[in-house]
Amino acid sequence: MASVAEVKSAIDAAIQQVSEGQAAVHAASEKLAEAQQSLAVALDGSGHDAVSTAHASLQQATQELEECLAATMAAVEQAQQYSAAL
Amino acid sequence: MSLVQELGAQVRATSDDLPVGQVAVAVERLRAAGELLMWVRQESVDPLGVPRLAGAMEHAEQAAQALRVAQDSLLAYLTSIGLAHDGAPGPDGTWRTALREPEGERRERPEPSGAEPPPLGRWWSERVAVLTGHGSPAARSDSAAKEGPDLLRRVAAGVRSEDRDKLHRELGGVEPPVGLGLSALAPPVLHRLAGDLLRHQPRAEDLPALAKQVEPRVRDLLPGLPPRILDIQLRRICRVPVERKDDDGPPPHPADFAVIGSVVAGVLLRLLDREPDSLDPAAPEPVPDAETHA
Repeated sequence: MASVAEVKSAIDAAIQQVSEGQAAVHAASEKLAEAQQSLAVALDGSGHDAVSTAHASLQQATQELEECLAATMAAVEQAQQYSAAL
Repeated sequence: MSLVQELGAQVRATSDDLPVGQVAVAVERLRAAGELLMWVRQESVDPLGVPRLAGAMEHAEQAAQALRVAQDSLLAYLTSIGLAHDGAPGPDGTWRTALREPEGERRERPEPSGAEPPPLGRWWSERVAVLTGHGSPAARSDSAAKEGPDLLRRVAAGVRSEDRDKLHRELGGVEPPVGLGLSALAPPVLHRLAGDLLRHQPRAEDLPALAKQVEPRVRDLLPGLPPRILDIQLRRICRVPVERKDDDGPPPHPADFAVIGSVVAGVLLRLLDREPDSLDPAAPEPVPDAETHA
């Protein structure tokens, strides 16, 4: 039969996975920002449709990663509150 | 190098360097966390962060998709300016990202304080014992793997030698977070190995052929595994949506996906006749075998 300590451990293990996911998102966001800067310089002056699409997609990826991080923080808070109330 | 070549090389390098792998790793970590919380919260009305995590995963998946569109657009641009050679996609390195330690500082791990380990250890090793068909949980061992990639290679060695006792020992003897982490590490590795076996990106129509090759071996090694877990795992590899039925019952045990992921990786390596050490992220890209196909 499960104990409170066991449930708390399981929640901690899940939060650890989320933290590692957040670390990956942070690293991805940094790389993405570098890529955007690099492309902005290299492709300055291009009116090619494919270049516009690439810029827009990178901007969308940045936005999605920000929203992803915000959602993970809210999830961790909820999980921690539940664990504390056990 | 001409000016156009120089421009092409820069665009190509930036495209190859887009963090598709990191985002894929984040998706799998969030999926693993969500599965664990789903299992913890069954029968509870408290959301425990599960819907928020599902939302986070969706955003990360959208980000990954946007990055792929950006890569395709950049490669199309290179082709359109006459650099057709630079317009082909490079090898998918997501599996290497998954198996590599994060850059920068090493992740903090809880230090042993002399106190009894949390009871989750029993929960994990008991489930491993059920899956591997052993009567009793494996004892915790000092020589057990401390990192997911090492555990993945040890499990692959057990699969290669068809040694169910070794699987029981290696998987059951680790700290639960190390074991549970396999469900996040394994998917990119599985996708890549299945792609190597099939000699193309795994697709929906490959599911029956892949199942035919993998299923009997997994059944021998994990006699206690619920059949639907393997089905879900293979569907994920082939990017086939997992059908949810009303009579699905309780959510799967989170240890199941961790264990099945590592064992299927070992089976695929065996089918490819590759050594477990080829799962080293620094290992060179294997030379495709002309005879290999599912």
